[in-house]
Amino acid sequence: MRQTILQGLEQVYSNLVRMIAEFLPRFLVMLIIIVIGLLVAFVLKYILRALLGLTKLDRVSEEAGASRVLRMAHLPSMTELLCRSIFWVTWFGFILVGLSVLGVAGLQEQISRLFRFLPEVFVAILILFLGAVIATFLSRAALLAAVNAGHPSAKILSWSIRFVIWILAISMTLEELGLARQTVISAFSIIFGASMLGLAIAFGLGGQDLARKCLERYLGDAKKEKDKEPQPL
Amino acid sequence: MAEDTFLADDLLRQLMSVGEVDLLVGISSHNAADTISHAVHAIEQSFQQHFVRQRVVIVNVGGGDKDEDGVVATRLGNLAENNVGLPGMTSLRTMHRVTANFSGPPSAGIALRTILAAADLLQARACAVVSPATSNLTPDSIANLLRPVYREKFDFVAPLYTRHKYQGLLARNLLYPMSRAVFGCGIRELNSDEWGFSGRLAALCLNQDVWHEEAIRARPEAWMLISAISSNFRCCQTFLGEKSQAMKGPGTDIVEILRQTVGTLFWCLETQQAFWLDCERSQPVPTFGPARELTSEPTDLDRHRIFEMFRSGVTELEPILSSILDPETHSEIKSIVSLEEGKFRFKSDLWVRTLYDFAASYHHAVINRDHLVQALAPLYRGMTYSFLVEHSDSSPAEMEAASERLCVEFELQKPYLRERWKAKVEVKS
Repeated sequence: MRQTILQGLEQVYSNLVRMIAEFLPRFLVMLIIIVIGLLVAFVLKYILRALLGLTKLDRVSEEAGASRVLRMAHLPSMTELLCRSIFWVTWFGFILVGLSVLGVAGLQEQISRLFRFLPEVFVAILILFLGAVIATFLSRAALLAAVNAGHPSAKILSWSIRFVIWILAISMTLEELGLARQTVISAFSIIFGASMLGLAIAFGLGGQDLARKCLERYLGDAKKEKDKEPQPL
Repeated sequence: MAEDTFLADDLLRQLMSVGEVDLLVGISSHNAADTISHAVHAIEQSFQQHFVRQRVVIVNVGGGDKDEDGVVATRLGNLAENNVGLPGMTSLRTMHRVTANFSGPPSAGIALRTILAAADLLQARACAVVSPATSNLTPDSIANLLRPVYREKFDFVAPLYTRHKYQGLLARNLLYPMSRAVFGCGIRELNSDEWGFSGRLAALCLNQDVWHEEAIRARPEAWMLISAISSNFRCCQTFLGEKSQAMKGPGTDIVEILRQTVGTLFWCLETQQAFWLDCERSQPVPTFGPARELTSEPTDLDRHRIFEMFRSGVTELEPILSSILDPETHSEIKSIVSLEEGKFRFKSDLWVRTLYDFAASYHHAVINRDHLVQALAPLYRGMTYSFLVEHSDSSPAEMEAASERLCVEFELQKPYLRERWKAKVEVKS
């Protein structure tokens, strides 16, 4: 019996040694891949920063109103955000490749699933970002146009536009991620339809005077009001 | 040559048949089929009365619309026939007429580019651009634009007008004092429908790579003037008589006018910063004819509405203004918004700082530049209201003195503009 126990222990020990002997090189390969990934990520980050500096992306982003959205969300500038993104995406990719080298059962499948899901996550982030930029730009344009035309509900108009675009962007993002597709589509249809109906009823019943003024303004009485200001030139 | 790329073969053929000229008058007949005959008649009379011995040409830039161009061509042909042998009008040279089509979507910028290219090819010594929309265009006023260039060797001739004391407040309170302080040249009418220029200024402007810019699409004249100033060309202004109300155009659509004028001025600040950042003092400009005349007939202005639009505009646009204005300037504006209508005054130092903040923010592109210019409209209305109240009983002399004080204020605060212009953009959340 003692002999059997010793043989068992020897077997376990030899298995452990063999496993460690097989695992250690893989672990070292993983570490090397991760370190190389870190270096590659750094290099890509600095190259991208230099390229974006040359293209003056930050200025374009400022003009489009995207930088303001980023600042409101306490995020860094557009250039910095893209540089950091490329760094983390690259390094994360290398980490996953490194982990796959370990050959842990089940992990391989999870990693490949994650890789398949990554493009959708990026597209979803892009949709959300573009939605934020477009919402800011259009709501500001509407606010300025309404204020300068003497519209009494300029802020409501601006917020409505921002709200609708945000709803649309969030719905598209969730749709892209495949989260509760049917629910999202139904929720969007209900919210959008209800908002439009609400606005129509509010404008038609509650805002008859406003509607009349708007129609008068667009159909001919505009000149009368404009002529009450002095000629600028 | 720049014009090789966009002038049509037909136009080149016409220009080659003309040869060289002394004087060129350009006109755009786009959307002006009704008024073109009056303008061309005035130009031809001007040539026949004042420039009998000179080689002259009229360059008409049409809209490319076959119906409209047909009407214009018929009218130009009729005019040419009617003017032959008129008593007292004995031009010794052939009066050439050249018609061109727009090389892109019709705009004042493209029309000017075509006229400049024609002037360059024809080696014109003196040129003028006039608008068919100007109802009181006379032979004398066209001669007044051409003569300083042709006889006195000036390179740019800006017009001066007789106008109502409440007309042209954007020019009086913003465009003139700001451009005078920044670029050092006291031209009163930065934006006008008619102006004169030399052949060498035409060549300089033609070769600049700016024709795709939105800023000079609708009103390129201010850019042309500022290009002349920054290249040390000789500029002057000449009296043309009463300022007519343009028959077409934005009228009193303040936002559109701000886009076309202030937007262009800010864009010129951006493109000519190497010149104006070192420019210290403004120089007086030679003036032909009376300096400036003001009339004061009663008007039907709704001051209360102007004030209310200022007040609501500043309140509603607070988040936008906070990203454009310096915090101190913004808080001062917010404090005057709360004043009663009777006590409200937009002080000149605050107005100047506000405009300089806008110019610097335009440079730093803190928000979309078109939005930034639009955000100026309520503040302009505030200044207009303040001006109307302050000068309701002022004489022309008092108004001129106030205008001069405003110019001095702009010049005194120019270091503030330089400081904000060179400062790095602050990150505001």
